Amino acid sequence: MDAMIRLEALTKRYPGQEELAVDNVDMEIRPGEIVVLVGPSGCGKTTTLKMINRIIEPTSGRIILEGEDVTDVNPDRLRRRIGYVIQQVGLFPHQTIASNVATVPKLLGWGKERITARVDELLEMVSLEPRIYRDRYPKELSGGQRQRVGVARAMAADPPVMLMDEPFGAIDPITRDRLQNEFLRLQEEIQKTIVFVTHDIDEAIKMGDRIAIFGDNHRIQQFATPEAILSQPANEFVDDFTGTGASLKRLNLVRVRDVDLGEWPTAISSVRREDALAQLDEVDQAFLLLVDSNRRPVRWVSRRDLSRADWNQHVGLPVRAQVPLNATLSDALDEMLTSSVGVAIVVDDGGAYRGIVDIDTVMTAVNTLRAETRERVAVAAWHAPAGAVEEGGA
Amino acid sequence: MGWLEYMIDNPGRLIGLGVEHATLALIAVAVSGVIGATVGVLTYRRPVAASIATAVAATMLTIPSFALFGLVLVWFGLGNTGVVVTLVVYALLPIVRNTITGLQEVDPAITESALGMGLSPRQVLLRVELPLAWPVIIAGLRVATMLVVSILAIGAYIGADGLGNEIFRALSNIGSVWAFDVAIAATVSIVIVAMVLEAFWVLVDRLTTPRGLRD
Repeated sequence: MDAMIRLEALTKRYPGQEELAVDNVDMEIRPGEIVVLVGPSGCGKTTTLKMINRIIEPTSGRIILEGEDVTDVNPDRLRRRIGYVIQQVGLFPHQTIASNVATVPKLLGWGKERITARVDELLEMVSLEPRIYRDRYPKELSGGQRQRVGVARAMAADPPVMLMDEPFGAIDPITRDRLQNEFLRLQEEIQKTIVFVTHDIDEAIKMGDRIAIFGDNHRIQQFATPEAILSQPANEFVDDFTGTGASLKRLNLVRVRDVDLGEWPTAISSVRREDALAQLDEVDQAFLLLVDSNRRPVRWVSRRDLSRADWNQHVGLPVRAQVPLNATLSDALDEMLTSSVGVAIVVDDGGAYRGIVDIDTVMTAVNTLRAETRERVAVAAWHAPAGAVEEGGA
Repeated sequence: MGWLEYMIDNPGRLIGLGVEHATLALIAVAVSGVIGATVGVLTYRRPVAASIATAVAATMLTIPSFALFGLVLVWFGLGNTGVVVTLVVYALLPIVRNTITGLQEVDPAITESALGMGLSPRQVLLRVELPLAWPVIIAGLRVATMLVVSILAIGAYIGADGLGNEIFRALSNIGSVWAFDVAIAATVSIVIVAMVLEAFWVLVDRLTTPRGLRD
């Protein structure tokens, strides 16, 4: 079995409507990959997603899940094998968080102890302390926390496939960024097959192993890796949709951990100031980064700070711009621009200092990407039959 | 304040009639609740059927109670049965309407996520939609109870138990010195029964509404 989900000529026509809502979608989704369906509103991306678990019944075409044709099987049983997360989350307001998360295991008739253990495990997985949140009700949680519960609930019975319909769409940009990063890290562990709908091309590029761009004609315009979509758009529609600044968007493709991080002089925050000054003199930098005993960044101090008469533990600039290792270069650039020092500090999962990203790091990455793409296009043109590259994308 | 003296002097009599009154009202609301909720559950997903159910229940409420009592008298004769049947009919509107509204107002995202997890439509109804609509349904039962308590007073006319008997006894002796006071005392007692039943529903609402739905 090579495809986890296969869609064959999937089509939806709503009664009384001339136009097809989804027009002949063919798609193969491999185990463990995140496929993002993206496109303007009304393009059929959400309808396609909802036909996979048959919340919307297809008019024609087949849905094959793990090699089995599920187009006509009992929909309730099918849905228990597929995790489902929607933008509005849809938690049951009359049930506790634990009870919400336990919905599918209860349907499947798991024992009580197994359910309790699983609920706690899941809440921990989405960074909600079980002891605190287990017995709360949805209305007592923030939007971001509710979305985490939604993800935990969808994963409860460990389904191989998850469908996510704009899961981070209704969340403020800062929390969304964090949830995206957390989710990507989680995905590295759980390796689910995920179909993800968004209207935001930047989110698609960040989240997707492959992206399917739907057009106004309710068909897939291009289904390829983010790199291929940005560097070789299949047609004008895709080119328009990915928009200007494709090179800038490509920063979304590079993770911080994959680039050579810059170094920055650091010192433990209890350092004697003479030593700190000496260290600053040694390197050609305006600031020294102070870290705590666990190497977590605390403050930036300049030579002037260190020379102040009232020198104490609180002099200097607080550290704001920090990114985790799985953040994209685009995230890092964003942080960097808001940073007072002009660099984004990279920290590991425990929050300890790992290096920095500065504008040179970004430039180097952009140049590498450009060179790689040119090379790939040249190689593809060399191997492909005439015309294929222009027409087919990847 | 002769009526107050009457109430103080005859507590046993008024309380006895009051209990009868409350019991009959609750029986009628319970039967109507089962019928009304069933009608609501069967129609809330179909807009046309839901409108028809509400319209029929509303029409029945416009029939003057006196006329309806006359009608049931033909079928059931004198006594409580006919009156309770009449009250059931009158109580339907608030119950049917609130059941339909309550079920229809459940956030579609919640039902969609429930279906998406593999709950069958029946499980969605029983485990999600009805519990969420419950506070609205209770509100319908409360209104129905008020309605029934007042109409029941007239039911004494065709032989029902309850405080209506005291009013009719007074009215048939109008002109006598005590008649007016007795009528007032019985009316005040009906108001008290209504208030006690209202408190009963508030209590039921408190005890049965899940904590996550309370403000």
